[in-house]
Amino acid sequence: MSQLLEVKQLSKAYHKAEGMFRSKKIQALLDINFALDSGQTLAVVGETGSGKSTLAKVLVGIEQPEQGEILFGGSPLNCRDYQKTNHLIRYIFQDAARSLSPNQKISDILHAVLRYSTVLNEDQRNDKIANTLKLLGLLNEHGNYYPHMFSGGQLQRVALARALILDPKVLILDEALTALDPSLRAQIVNLLLDLQQKTGLSYILITNQLRLVRHFADQTMVLHQGRCLDYGPTLDVFNQPTHEYSRKLMKSIQF
Amino acid sequence: MQLLDIRNLTLELETPEGMIRAVDRVNLSLKEGEVRGLVGESGSGKSLIAKAIMGVLHERWRISADRFSWCGEDLMRLPYHKQRKIISRDIAMIYQEPSRSMDPTSSIGEQLSESIPTHLLEGAWWQRANARKKRAIALLHKVGIRDHQAVWHSYPYQLSEGVCQKISIAMAIAKNPKLLIADEPTTALESTTQAQLFRLLASFNQLKGTSILLISHELETVARNTDSLSVLYCGQLVEAGDTETILKDPLHPYTNALIKSVPEFQPELAFKQQLYALHGSIPTLQHLPIGCRLGPRCPNARKECVKTPLPERVQNHHFSCHFPLSKVQ
Repeated sequence: MSQLLEVKQLSKAYHKAEGMFRSKKIQALLDINFALDSGQTLAVVGETGSGKSTLAKVLVGIEQPEQGEILFGGSPLNCRDYQKTNHLIRYIFQDAARSLSPNQKISDILHAVLRYSTVLNEDQRNDKIANTLKLLGLLNEHGNYYPHMFSGGQLQRVALARALILDPKVLILDEALTALDPSLRAQIVNLLLDLQQKTGLSYILITNQLRLVRHFADQTMVLHQGRCLDYGPTLDVFNQPTHEYSRKLMKSIQF
Repeated sequence: MQLLDIRNLTLELETPEGMIRAVDRVNLSLKEGEVRGLVGESGSGKSLIAKAIMGVLHERWRISADRFSWCGEDLMRLPYHKQRKIISRDIAMIYQEPSRSMDPTSSIGEQLSESIPTHLLEGAWWQRANARKKRAIALLHKVGIRDHQAVWHSYPYQLSEGVCQKISIAMAIAKNPKLLIADEPTTALESTTQAQLFRLLASFNQLKGTSILLISHELETVARNTDSLSVLYCGQLVEAGDTETILKDPLHPYTNALIKSVPEFQPELAFKQQLYALHGSIPTLQHLPIGCRLGPRCPNARKECVKTPLPERVQNHHFSCHFPLSKVQ
C-alpha cells in the first residue's frame, strides 16, 4: 500500500563560507526516512539546531534537498513546482501575528492565495473564502478585519484558514501551538482534531511540548543534530526509547 | 514567618481612553522558604506584579495597596531610597528573555562581578578584586557552567539562551537574596534544560531557604515545582492555596478549565479526544468586562456575576467566585 507522503533518505547540508576559499559544511539533515498516511499525525521533536525546521522547509520547498526523494501518493514531488506542491502541503509559522501582513485585510490575504494558485473567478473565490472562514469558526465579516483587530487565538485561526483554503492533504505546524496561552491552545487543538476527523487531514507537528505530542500524535520522530534517533508509534517511542538522547528527553517530562 | 504580605494591590495606568486597571485588588503572601507559583495567561498582570514588588515599574503606573509589607515593614510608607535599599538587599529577579535583559556592551565577567555586593567579600580592600573574581567564578560553577574561562570574556549575544539564563540566575543569587522572583524562566529553553533549571531552583530553596516566586503560564510545570499556587485571570486573583488542594478540587471555574485543558492531568482522557476549553478569548485591557472578568466566558455565569466577587476562604484555600464549583454540584 502506498502511503500519502513518503520521505526516503533525505539529506540536506548548509555551506558556510569561512575565509575566502574554505567553506564549512553543516549537516542539517542526514538520511531521514518516514511515511505518513492520511488522517495521521507525525510529531517531530528535538532541541534547537536539531534540523526540525529544516525538515519542514524542505518539505514545503523553501529549501532544496541535496539527496533523497519525497514521494507524494507514490509519485515523486517536485518541490520547485510551487503551484502544484502548495495544494498538497501547507505550512503554518510559529507566530501568527507576525506572519500575516498588517496592512492587508483578511479577505485580501486569502484572495491573494487563491489568485496565485487556482483558476477560480472572483465569485468562486468569495464562496471559497466564506466556506473556509466558516469551517474555522470565524464569521464572514471577519474578512473585512485587519490582523491587528484579532486576538491571539483568532489570529491562529486566520493563519489556519490561509493554509487550509487550498484544501491541502498535509499541514505542517512549525511550533504553531507553542506561543498560545493554555486555554486558547486547547481550543486550537480541538479544532485541529476535529478537522482531522472530518477531512482526513495529516499533520506534521514540530514542537517541544512532549505532553501534547503524547495526546495528539500517531507517530513520533526524535531528531538530534540532523539524525533521526527514534522513529515509530508514539507510545513505543515514549515507553521504550532506544537511544540515550531520546531516553533523556522522555525522562525530562516526568522529572 | 511572613516574608511578603500584599493586600489589595491595584495597578492602574492612565490612558487617553480613561483609567485602565490592569491589576485589580490582588492579595499575595509568601512565607520564608516557600515556593509559590503565580499562574495566568498573557495579559493577566503576572509580570506587572513581579515588577511592582521589585519597584521597577514605569512611573506612569499608579500603585496602590492597603498593605505592602516586607518582613513586617511597610514598603509603601518608606522613603524611596530606603525602599530601594531594602529591595536591592533582599529581593532578586530573573527576567524574561535573559539574553535581552543583560547589558549587550559589557562582557559576562564584568556584569557578573558587578552584581556581587561588596559586603559579602572578605579581606582588606586590596584583596577585594581577587575575591570578587573568585566568587564570580564560584557562582558560575554553582549554576552548572563548568567552563568558566570561555564564558567570562564573551558577550551575551555570543551565548545560547540556556547559558544566558544560567548566568542571569547566577547574578540573581550573587547577593544571597531572601526572595527570588523567576519570571517565565523556562519559555526560551529546551525541555531537558528546563528540568535542570528547576532542579537548580529547588536546590537553592532547600539549601539556603530562599523563597521563590515562580511566574509562568504553564500550569503543569508550576504545579510540579511549587508548594502553593495563585491563579490570576485578567488582573484578578481567582484562586490561591496549596498546590495539591487546588489541583485536586478547584473551586473556581477558570482554574478548573486550566487544569482540564492539560492532557497530563486527565489520565482517563482517550487518545485524540477533544480537550476541555472555555469558549471565547482573553479580553484586551481596553475592553475588560465589569464585575467578574471571567463572566462572558464562564460556563456557569449568572446575573450576580456583574458584581465583582469578594475573596472568600475555606481553611487555607482562597477563591473569589459567587458560585464556587463544589457548591454548585
